[in-house]
Amino acid sequence: MYMATASFSNRVGQAVEKSCSSISLLTFPAPKPTSSLPSLAVKCIDVQKGHHSSKWFLPWGKDQCESLKGFDEASSRLIVANDIVFAVHIPFIGHEMSPWFQFMLIILQLDIAFQFRNEIEENAMLTLDVAMAYRDGLNDPWTEMARSVEQRKLKCVLPVPKTQANEGHNYDCDLLPLLELGSVAHKYYLLNIKLPVNDQKKINLGIGEIKDLRLVTIFQNGGFTQVWFAMKTFLTPSILIIMIWYWRRITMMTRPPVLLEKVIFALGISMTFINIPVEWFSIGFNWTWMLLFGDIRQGIFYAVLLSFWIIFCGEHMMVPLVAQFTCSCCREGRESLRDNSADLPDLALITSFYDQAERNRISVYWKQVGPIAFGSCCLFIFDMCERGVQLTNPFYSIWTTDIGAELAMAFIIVAGICACLYFLFLCFMVFQVFRNISGKRSTLPAMSKARRLHYEGLIFRFRFLMIITLACAALTVIFFITTQISEGNWKWGEVTIELNSAFFTGVYGMWNLYVFALMFLYAPSHKNYGEDQSNGCTGSGSGEELQLTTTIANIDGPTEVYRLAGKESQE
Amino acid sequence: MTPEYFLRSLLMMILAVFSANASNWLYLAKLSSVGSISEEETCEKLKGLIQRQVQMCKRNLEVMDSVRRGAQLAIEECQYQFRNRRWNCSTLDTLPVFGKVVTQGTREAAFVYAISSAGVAFAVTRACSSGDLDKCGCDRTVHGVSPQGFQWSGCSDNIAYGVAFSQSFVDVRERSKGASSSRALMNLHNNEAGRKAILNNMRVECKCHGVSGSCEVKTCWKAMPPFRKVGNVLKEKFDGATEVEQKKIGSTKVLVPKNSQFKPHTDEDLVYLDSSPDFCDHDLKNGVLGTTGRQCNKTSKAIDGCELMCCGRGFHTEEVEIIERCSCKFHWCCYVKCKQCHKVVEMHTCR
Repeated sequence: MYMATASFSNRVGQAVEKSCSSISLLTFPAPKPTSSLPSLAVKCIDVQKGHHSSKWFLPWGKDQCESLKGFDEASSRLIVANDIVFAVHIPFIGHEMSPWFQFMLIILQLDIAFQFRNEIEENAMLTLDVAMAYRDGLNDPWTEMARSVEQRKLKCVLPVPKTQANEGHNYDCDLLPLLELGSVAHKYYLLNIKLPVNDQKKINLGIGEIKDLRLVTIFQNGGFTQVWFAMKTFLTPSILIIMIWYWRRITMMTRPPVLLEKVIFALGISMTFINIPVEWFSIGFNWTWMLLFGDIRQGIFYAVLLSFWIIFCGEHMMVPLVAQFTCSCCREGRESLRDNSADLPDLALITSFYDQAERNRISVYWKQVGPIAFGSCCLFIFDMCERGVQLTNPFYSIWTTDIGAELAMAFIIVAGICACLYFLFLCFMVFQVFRNISGKRSTLPAMSKARRLHYEGLIFRFRFLMIITLACAALTVIFFITTQISEGNWKWGEVTIELNSAFFTGVYGMWNLYVFALMFLYAPSHKNYGEDQSNGCTGSGSGEELQLTTTIANIDGPTEVYRLAGKESQE
Repeated sequence: MTPEYFLRSLLMMILAVFSANASNWLYLAKLSSVGSISEEETCEKLKGLIQRQVQMCKRNLEVMDSVRRGAQLAIEECQYQFRNRRWNCSTLDTLPVFGKVVTQGTREAAFVYAISSAGVAFAVTRACSSGDLDKCGCDRTVHGVSPQGFQWSGCSDNIAYGVAFSQSFVDVRERSKGASSSRALMNLHNNEAGRKAILNNMRVECKCHGVSGSCEVKTCWKAMPPFRKVGNVLKEKFDGATEVEQKKIGSTKVLVPKNSQFKPHTDEDLVYLDSSPDFCDHDLKNGVLGTTGRQCNKTSKAIDGCELMCCGRGFHTEEVEIIERCSCKFHWCCYVKCKQCHKVVEMHTCR
């Protein structure tokens, strides 16, 4: 009886099985997604007069600089703040950086000791004279990469009361983002940082007594990158093939594709856009824009996914009351349906038609899709201001200036408001659909078998998508929270599972599967033709004229419904 | 007599004389005259090391400067923490560094062992982070290169190396005895407690760097606490140290609290076997300097108050004019321009 439901669930079963094995296989070998490399800057002494900027200071190894162990030593040797260069070599001795690391973020931390006479002033601003160089061989000369004078706000609190006894206690200072590189094309990097002091210009005054400067370098692990690339390379063809198959099914229909079908197709395209492993090129080329490109790709996918949910709900809001046939030879069936529709006088055939034409345009959804588009635009502009500018100056950060921070905050808040608006709309629509459905349900027993099956198919389909969407979203949130709370890994006997990589690969695989399942399950059926003709329709191409006023794609459900409807009417 | 033979016999003598005290390596802190420890011969000349420590020194030459720095840190911190107490962690220029106080199983000894093993772990970890120790950092653990490389899975924490080095260098003395005597057990426990003071107080810091800087991707790392914090933690443990005695449970000997009413100590707590002397009187034989001449606080009722500090002997009061630096102008480093202010204060010193 529930053939529609049965075949639908069969498809689901296959798909779920496939995904589970693929996700679990891929998460096991991956190391944690990112690594951090903490380093302590060596305090080099710039003994040259005039401080020529062309000289590079190395913390260790050949040509290592003359360094200080601590600053107590400096005052006795009449060395002043302007003579001190903090030097950091990335990575440590005996290691090399690699293009597999994909990106590199460097964070600056200062160890500032509390002294009664030399406290950190309110709104203290740190001015850094930073230079970065690279080389690819241990004996090559250093090549300058970037040089800039940057300002960072110093936000520090003393965790203990300010008393004489607590002098020498370190402040707790916020992390200062120093730089972001979108590609790691070289083997060795060198950073030289000065904190110039100028009494007249009030530069670097009132920043306390600095004891140490530490840097933390964050990059993606090579192993994770490889697993990730492998996953993308494997997923691209799967989604691509199902997408082609899906579009072929649609073009096989004579009617033009409805909006929902188009949106599902767009979802497939944006998923493929994320999947395509262009990152392979970053191994050979120094493409610093990769980070920005990745953000844009993800942004597009999120926007399409959110739009899809709205449209899917919208399309189910008018649960069709009438299956309307234009097939001339199936008049009997049509008539039977039309007769039946008399028991539900609230909606006429015409309104159904009208709705369909209306609802098939994206502009109907401007209220819901508008916030998505607007929010995405805000985030895009924000990203361009941050990561876009970083393409030219890796030390740049929008958060360092007051105006920049306010602007960035404004963009984020607007995007947040858009997101809230969107979710309100979505919840409202879901609520409406459910009300609609429960309304229909009460009238179901009174309907003819065919119509009942048809509705049940629709309701089932909506519920099904609702459930898998909620399941996916819930899993994502649960995974996210788990990784946020429990840093690290889980051990199961011999196998250690890196939670974070499991999260990334798992969630990524899951959403891929979601899109895959959507296209697979919601593709219009090609079985219409044969079955309809077997119903005794004589006219050629009669099936092509067959159209349901449902604005959703025909799956097996409606096909079965028609068949039954036809048979019943013949009886 | 060849110089080699001479050196060896000297070493044997050192071993014979000082083998009673496992914290003699702290004497390294006093060796500022020996430049940097960069040659194997220097290792043998270092006073206070036992044979196995000399071997470790030879094998890990570049780490030895950090060990020395760790010893200095430990002594500085000990003196800071005990500045207001009768025993103020004063060091002697001879061996043993702290006098006999530390050779007995006292609370003070417990603190010294803990802070010194923490000092070594701290200093070695710091040196690792500077990047110049090619034995540590990133994928290398104390036992060698980890199976997965730096490029595959990045770095392991430097603290692991620091702690492991401290374990093998500082604990070697107790281990060589077979960890059977109660002193050895106490020292081992306190050494470990010192390292735990670092490990359990690591600060976790995180940075979000997902899409548009969201917390979708977050990287966290552990940062070592400042050594002052380690000192504070250990001082608290010192105040709440547990007196223990050795007991045999099954075939292993363990330390259990003397007073069975007390709850058993944890890995992080300090333990001691003998009660401490009162440190009141000058007793060079035991390395106790006494409190005569120490400054005290007239108003305080605590241990730094004149009543307790001077052990009831009374105190002198004199008015002294001190020159203080005031209304200073500072730079973040190395530059201070101050006026000199004269101030008259009352100073109390113990009789």
